[in-house]
Formats: sequence, structure tokens, C-alpha cells
Amino acid sequence: MSNVTHKTLSNGIEMMCVELPTRHAVATQIRFLSGTADEPSDKLGVGRLVQETIDLGTEKRDARAMSDAFDAIGAADSGAIGREATSYSCLALPEYIEEAIALEAEYLRTPTFPTDKVDVAIDLTKQEYNAFLDDAQGLADKFIGQQAYGDRLGRHSLGEPQTIAAMTRDDVVSHWKNLYCSGRMQVAAAGNITAAKLEAILEEQFADFGNTDKQGRDGYDVQFTTKRIHHQKELEQQQIAIAFPAVPVSHADFYVQRVMLAILSGGMSSRLFTEVREKQGLVYWVSAWGEYPRGHGMIFIGASTTPERCDTTYNTLMREVDRLSEDLTEDELDRAKTGLVAKIETQGDATRARCRQLADDMFHHGKHVPQSDKIARIQAVTSADIKRYLDEHPRNALSVVTLGPRQLEGSELASNGANGGAQ
Amino acid sequence: MSSPYTLHTLDNGLRIVIERMPDVNSAAAGFLARTGARDETPEKAGVSHFLEHMCFKGTSNRDWREITVDFDKLGSVYNAFTSEDRTFYYGWVPKENINQQIELIADMMRPALPTDEFDMEKNVILEEIAMAKDSLDHVTFDFLLERVFEGHPLAWPILGYDTTVTDLSRDDLAAYHQRRYAADNMTLVVAGNVDPDDIIATANRLTADWQSSNDDHQRDVPTPRTGVANLVVERFNQQIVALCFKGVSGNHPKHESLEAATSILGGSNSRYYWNIIQTGLSPSAGAYHMDLSDSGLVILYGQTDPANIEELTDALRAEAKKLCESKVEDKEVQRVKNRRRTTLAVEGESPYHRLVQIMDDVDYRGAPRTVDERLDAVQSVTADTIADTLAEFPFQGPEFLVSVGPRDWPGTNGASQ
Repeated sequence: MSNVTHKTLSNGIEMMCVELPTRHAVATQIRFLSGTADEPSDKLGVGRLVQETIDLGTEKRDARAMSDAFDAIGAADSGAIGREATSYSCLALPEYIEEAIALEAEYLRTPTFPTDKVDVAIDLTKQEYNAFLDDAQGLADKFIGQQAYGDRLGRHSLGEPQTIAAMTRDDVVSHWKNLYCSGRMQVAAAGNITAAKLEAILEEQFADFGNTDKQGRDGYDVQFTTKRIHHQKELEQQQIAIAFPAVPVSHADFYVQRVMLAILSGGMSSRLFTEVREKQGLVYWVSAWGEYPRGHGMIFIGASTTPERCDTTYNTLMREVDRLSEDLTEDELDRAKTGLVAKIETQGDATRARCRQLADDMFHHGKHVPQSDKIARIQAVTSADIKRYLDEHPRNALSVVTLGPRQLEGSELASNGANGGAQ
Repeated sequence: MSSPYTLHTLDNGLRIVIERMPDVNSAAAGFLARTGARDETPEKAGVSHFLEHMCFKGTSNRDWREITVDFDKLGSVYNAFTSEDRTFYYGWVPKENINQQIELIADMMRPALPTDEFDMEKNVILEEIAMAKDSLDHVTFDFLLERVFEGHPLAWPILGYDTTVTDLSRDDLAAYHQRRYAADNMTLVVAGNVDPDDIIATANRLTADWQSSNDDHQRDVPTPRTGVANLVVERFNQQIVALCFKGVSGNHPKHESLEAATSILGGSNSRYYWNIIQTGLSPSAGAYHMDLSDSGLVILYGQTDPANIEELTDALRAEAKKLCESKVEDKEVQRVKNRRRTTLAVEGESPYHRLVQIMDDVDYRGAPRTVDERLDAVQSVTADTIADTLAEFPFQGPEFLVSVGPRDWPGTNGASQ
């Protein structure tokens, strides 16, 4: 019998829980189905401001009292905003999980957004934006995200200087009122807790929390741009970022794509690490990874190298992408599959990782996908599947960003330099 | 209750420490070489880290390709890191693969150092150094150690300098390896669902020809300097300031109290968070205790727009002064304990986290501590023990101030005063 429960509660919350009675803690994740893509276009950054200030005062407690209440039970609570969702993760000992979720409910439902706290958060965001301009890899990620996803899905959580400068407390409150309700909530839990207990807590704590109709379940369109853009910036190394469209998590070929990606950039024996770093010594860091907004997939490749090696590194990366279908061996296929399966198995020993897996299942599939099913689908991938996948999904539309002192051959120069995208 | 540990020392001096975790499905293993940047000479700065890279580049049994392929065949989560005083190689695998994982890392501990791979890897490390120069945090930390420990081996960066790495030869690495990777300077740590007798038998077989060392290398205990130094790097937008004070070693009786003091001052829900970050003065301010086997350094730091650096520095000092001169409240101490209790409960479930904790205990304390023993150490901290600790190791008075960023402040521009 499965120890996983998935159901929708009377208040509209979609809940999934895996009972692991031998664990010494409980991990939970409350995911609101609203992210940076749901921000008004003239209020970019407001979602993060809500997330940063939501626990800085409630109808019952001020900011310090809220933090003290979490510390009194030793619960670790943190928030993060993504393109399509905002997550509040919590870790607590089993005897305190009810109290921890009650505290989360208190700040999520009754925040007061004190004016002084919101003003400080806006000031800090301006400073964080300046600090972000010192983060070469973060900047490259922002630029390639904008090119690959377009105006809406490609937004950065920090917003833009002009939208942050114009932000007010009313904007923050309005955004919270519009997008925080139980109908947008998915809650995952893993560890020493029963599903019945979790259900009772969520029913009680989130009763009458706004709209109970399921919302935020549809993804947004991707506006992919085929471009090679260079952003000039004084750096020791040149950042290279490449993106191309891929299949979404719900696609029949998703696991084929996952294995393909592991062949490209799984362990140290994968192609990018081998060809770019080990054989030629062009980089210290090189990686490829997938991102999966609902209904879409995007593969990213990133590397950093000194400017004089930039063209060679870029050409080597592209050669490896092109070569994928040419000389695939059964050995590397087996290694890629072994690595993926082992990671699922070893991370099963980590309570927080199990919780994240459940949250992702709800987000992408709307149902629990057992670890055994994921493993079986990975193990079923053949070299013929990979070749077919590569034939059916040619990588002829690329979005490329470079950031640094040297413009890549054949690329356009960005009109806005490397100021983080401000116009 | 019986101990979860098995401790064993082989005839060649190799120590083995094993924690049995019967409720998990995985296991992690690592070889600790008790050597790092502080065991180098200045002209060979970076040799420890370079050797760590080269251990992945070939042995008498495997070339670099076979090493990475074998790791990946095991489904291992693996890597290695070099610090000021240790180098650690590890892999986390499904439990049935643990013996093969140990065999692979043991093989790497006797690297062949092939010449062609040596030249290629030098390029990779030079790229790593270039990458570090684009990070304000990294530049600041290296500059800080360089000035605070000037004249001591802790002064040079773990990665080494462009010049020293460029000048290193294969023979330099071989000589260093012979001295520092002797069996009696190394420890095998294993945590997970394993059979200790089986692990010991495997280790015995794999390391039978490892020799003990005649190396009489002794580490000099460092004394942090006081003074002021700043480094102007115009291309950064933000300015970092760090105030440094003497800390304690990882096995010092006051270690837990000092850790609690830094947490109260600059951790989560801390005085710096509420009185500096939440006033809008700085998006990032904290307190960090860097502990080593024989010493420690307390670093109070913050980052802000260059124009605000004086105000931030004053605020960092003012909060530290209050901490030292007024006894902390019991509820502040209890908060630290409560947070730690939850973290330890979760980390205790993961073979990888336990591996790293055991390695740390064995290296600095000589023996592993269970999760409960770690918790007991945290529980022993009180407002009084913190006051005693801060009286002996104050976060005020003589300090070393380091500033890095676009502004020439306080005006030494690279020089120390």
C-alpha cells in the first residue's frame, strides 16, 4: 500500500503527504501558484517584496515576535519566489509541526505589511540590485532567461530599477490580496506525520482563506528569441549562456530528454565536462540543465572562461550539442541512467528532498508519481529513443548570451550594456 | 545503547571511522588527508588544491576517463574539496555500492600524476582562479586572510596565485603527495547502512602497501594581526567591510559558546538582522566563526553601497560592543539551541551530512560525536558561558578591519597599517 496521500481539501488546497514514521523531522512546502510571471508589468519585483515582507507583522504579532515564535519551537521557515510559484518551506520536529504550520498560516493570512518594513524592503531591494550587478553568473542567467522565455516568463525576481523605485506599500498589499488564497495553494509534506493530521491542520488553519476555486493551474506562453547577444562588462572571465527549447515534464519523451541531458552533463564522465574541461582545459565551470515551466521545457548550457578562450569554448559547446546523435554509446547511456536512478534513491534518505519531490509532482503532474515509476521510465530509455528524440527535436533554434569583455564572433552588442537589463 | 561507531587503525597508521545507520538505503565514504593550504610553502601556494584536482586525473590502475566513468557507474554523488588544513574526497552511493566506492577513492589516493594531464589541469585551475576574481566575496576573503595572517601560511589563498600555480611542477606535487598523503596522516570515514567488518577488510586489502610518513612537519599556531587594510576594485558596485577578532579552535572548550555568540550577533533572527539589515543599512550583514584545528577567527561583516560603508562599520561595531558588555538574554540562547536541535535531527538522517560531521569531529576532536552528543554540547551553552567566552575572546577592541570595493576607504589601498 502506498504511504502517499493526495487529495483536494474542502478549502481548495491540494495536499500531498508521504508518511515516513522513522524520520525525526517533518518537512513541508506551501506553494502558491503565482510567481514573477503573475506580476503586473509595471510592478516587476512586487512578488518578491510580498514574500520578503509577509512575515514582518501580522494582526497578532510584530516581526520579531513572529521570528521568536518560530525559534521557540526550533522550526526553520523560509520563502522563495520562482517564475510560476512562490514557496514557503518549513522544517520542524514532529511534535511542533502543527504549531509551525499555524504560524505560517498566521503570516500568510493576516499580514499587516507595516509601512516601515515595506519601505526598508524596497530600499534593500535597490541595494540588492546593485549587488546583483557584481554577480556575473547571476547576470548571465537573467539575460538568457529574458531571451529564452520572453517578457513574462523571463522576468527576474528582483524586478527592474524603475519598477522598484516606483513601488509602494499599496502595490504590495494589492498583490497579496489578489494572489494569496487557498485555491492557489499546493501543500506537500514528508516525514514523521500522518496524512490525516496534515489534512486536519490545513483544514483548520486555512478555512475561509479567499477563493477556494482552483486557480493558477495554467502556464504561460514562452516567447523564445533566436539571438546571439553580447553584454559588455569588465570581468576576468567571459560568461557564456545558451538556451534551446525542450519538451515539458508532462511530455512522453521527458525521461528520454532527462537521460539525454545526463549524457550531456550528468557526472564528471559526461560529454561537456569531458570535452570542454578535461580534454581541453578551457573552463573550470561548465554545465547543462533543464528548466520546466508548466507546459514548456528549456535546456540551458552555461560556462565561464577567460576572454581569449571564449570563441573556442563556445564552438566546443556547440559541437557537443550537435554531436549528441552521432556517436552515442551504450556505456554512456547506462551511466547516465545509473546516475539518475541513484540520485533518486540516495535523496530518498533526505526528508526535505522527498517533500520537494511531492511538491513538484503536484505542480507538474497534478498527481503523485511513485519513485518506482520514475525509475522504471528512466531505465526503459534506449539509445534508439535518444536518437529518435534528437531527430524529432532539432537544436537549430538557439538563444545565446555572452557577458564580459569580449564580443563573441557573429553576435550582436546589447543596447543596454550589462546594467542588469534596465532600459 | 551500543555505540553506532567502529573505530579501527590499520598497521600502517590509516584510521578508519564507521557509523552504522541501519535505517537508510545509502552510504557515504570519504578519505581525509590532513593537509591543506597552511601546510604549503609560499612559493608552492596552491599545491594542495592542485593535487586534489590531479587525484582525479589518473592512477596506476585507471586513467582520468576511467575514474570519472567508474564514479558515474556507481551512481555516486561525489567530489572533493581543499581547505586551509584538510583535503577530503567523498562519494555517496546506494548502500550496495559502498565497497566499490571505497576502492575507487582509495585508488585515487595514490595518483599517477601524468604529465600531459598535469599541464591540462593547470589551465583548469587558472580558470578557477580567474572565476574567483570575479566574485566580491571571494576577493574579500582571500584579501582578509592575506592581511590578517600576514607572515603565516594561512595568508595565501587555497587556490594559490596565478604565478605560483603556473610555476608548480609535477615533481612538486609528487613530493608534496609523498609527505602529506602518508597512511598515518589519513582517515577513512564511512557512514550509512554498512557492515563495519566488511569495510575494515576492504580497507585493509586496498591500503596494505600504503606507507607511514617520516614527515616531521609541524603547524605554527597563527596569531591574528590587528590593523587596517583596504583593496580598491573599481569594477565592483558594492563595498564589503569585515572586522576580525581572535576566535578559538574547533576543539576548544569555549567553541560552542563562541559559535552561539556569533549566531546571536549575526545569524538568523539575530541582532544584526534586526538592527542593521532591517533598518535598511545593508542587505547582507553577519558574523562568522572560522574554526581550525588549533585556532580560530571571528569575522563580523557587512556589504552596502560604498557611500554607506562608515555608517555600516559603526553599526557592526556598536552591536558587537553591546553583545560584549551586556549579558545576552536567556531567550536568545534558547533560540540558538532550538534551531540547532532541528537541524541536527534532519542532518542525522543523511549519510552525506553525517560523513562530513564525523570527518570534522575526527580531525579536530580526535573522535566522532553522535547527534545526541553534538546536541548536548549545544545545550551546555548558557548566557553565563557566553559572557565568560566574550570576556576572553571579545568582539571589540583591537581588530583587523578589511574593506574591499570601489571606494578607497579607509584609504590604505592595499597596504596594511
